Amino acid sequence: MNKFVGKITVAEALIWVILALVLCFTVLPILFMLVASVMDAKQILAMPFRWIPSREYFTTSDRTWLTNFHKAIFGNNNNPVFLRNIANSLIVASTVAVTTVILSALCGYGLAKFNFRGKNAIFMSIMATMMIPFEAIMIPLYIVTANLHMMNSYRGLIVPFLVTAFGVFQMRQYLLTFPAEFIDAARVDGLGEFRIFLSIVFPNCLPVISTLAILSFRNQWDNLLWPLLVSQSETMKTIPLYLSKFAEEKQTDEGAMMACALIASIPMFILFGALSKYFLGGAAVFESRKG
Amino acid sequence: MSKQPIKHYSIEKKQARWGFFFTVPCLIFFAVFSFYPIISAFVTSLSDKQIMNRTSEFIGLENYKYLFTKSNGGFSLLNSMRATITFTLGTFIPMVVVSLIIAVFLMQLRKTRYRGFFQIGFYLPAVLSSVVAAAIWMIMFDPRGIVNQTTNALLNTAGKDYGWLVNSTMLQFSTMVVYFWKYIGYFVILFITGLATIPPTLYEAATVDGSGKWSNFWRITLPLLKPTVLLVSVMAMLQCLKTFSTQYMFVQGGTSRPPIDVITMNIYFTGIKHGKLGRASAMSIILFVIMLVLTVVQFKISDSDDVDY
Repeated sequence: MNKFVGKITVAEALIWVILALVLCFTVLPILFMLVASVMDAKQILAMPFRWIPSREYFTTSDRTWLTNFHKAIFGNNNNPVFLRNIANSLIVASTVAVTTVILSALCGYGLAKFNFRGKNAIFMSIMATMMIPFEAIMIPLYIVTANLHMMNSYRGLIVPFLVTAFGVFQMRQYLLTFPAEFIDAARVDGLGEFRIFLSIVFPNCLPVISTLAILSFRNQWDNLLWPLLVSQSETMKTIPLYLSKFAEEKQTDEGAMMACALIASIPMFILFGALSKYFLGGAAVFESRKG
Repeated sequence: MSKQPIKHYSIEKKQARWGFFFTVPCLIFFAVFSFYPIISAFVTSLSDKQIMNRTSEFIGLENYKYLFTKSNGGFSLLNSMRATITFTLGTFIPMVVVSLIIAVFLMQLRKTRYRGFFQIGFYLPAVLSSVVAAAIWMIMFDPRGIVNQTTNALLNTAGKDYGWLVNSTMLQFSTMVVYFWKYIGYFVILFITGLATIPPTLYEAATVDGSGKWSNFWRITLPLLKPTVLLVSVMAMLQCLKTFSTQYMFVQGGTSRPPIDVITMNIYFTGIKHGKLGRASAMSIILFVIMLVLTVVQFKISDSDDVDY
């Protein structure tokens, strides 16, 4: 018995070491961004690199960190357009997250729990859209958006991403195992179909909803290509656009660049901090429900 | 199910209508924003449409002929295909394998709390946007930067410049590193979700029957996880084929474009920057066909036997 336990511990120790190494790989670059945002270019590229910022980074008269953040926000012409761009990213990403969740849940529910003619054809054609990359249709979408006068507007940024086939697929897979008795019981109680969806099915999808919401939010937060086509004025730009322009104009100002990247990441870190518990809790729900 | 009462039948029919009704919003969306544009892209690819011109003429396969034979102003399609395929193979295979291993390791941890801790740590890069990721790594890849320092320390080659952003092979490798770093946690989460759906009773039964962890992995986890592995690899591959942000950001930051001129970037520059919508659409269609073929091939390979439990 003891030998058995000992064996598991050795294997576990190995697993811990490997996981810790991977953790270093994923976390250290973020730490680098954090540290570099208070340094000037000379310190960022110093050999060897100092991970712990010494006090002089903050106290010396030139106040590197302040200069970095000031440059990041106000750029060259003292115009805090970056803050507006952050707001734009938040608006677009959260709208898309909400619509994706609602529309995928609706469609996934219809496909998982009902039988109607053409259901498989509908499912297959929605799945087929997963093979149509956005990058392959962006030129026609660009033309359509221009024709609908949605250029340089929130509508233009949001509408092409209202729902994803992946979202529908996830919802359907999840709801396939949803007990039909709950739905039937609600029908016996006289609830309407839409009411059943809203008050019984939807709330029970919370784990998959939170996953999906985070994924869609992240995808839009990340989106560079479409805003590059649609956003024309400075005020309609999103964070990725601001950053790519910043990289182009201030290649050698590494500190300001990292300050900019850090500010751009703060809203997302806060959101993730608030939602990650739920996200991981959601995974646990998957387990217990199945077990 | 021989004879159903008539009333019951009509209720079912009514329900069926609701089921269809629920799918309608998505159907309309996909019709307008997926199916119509892909057809439109195909039609546009057969024309000489340009941003500045209102009218365009049908020119048949001229765009395709041009792309496969001409250099497209120094940024040829063939080079883009090479760049895209190199990037995809070099990224998605390590990503799927490593994230599956990490996910299995995470599931071995006894406390969910520890698992959550690592999951958050691995997922953190995915929280950042791709441009932030590219910006961070671009600075770290500087000849005097921390990556070069670390490589020198590990390989005992003091003072050597590996040219992470200059050497064309290293530049491609660098984009792969950034992408791998950013998405690894995301794929770990997908695998964890898949692993969590395997009933623990199966493992309990197998352990009672004297099966070890190693054989549990090969005989229970992997077969039951096959649908997830398939889905995740298709997703990872398709995602890599569509890569844009990392390469765009690198080029904006001053690296040379040809080694990492992936198809999406070429579409963007040709179509939007240079206004050649027809030619860019032809590239889009080629990208679409490549993705379609690869997806079908992968499904064929992996679809030999399905597992039910």
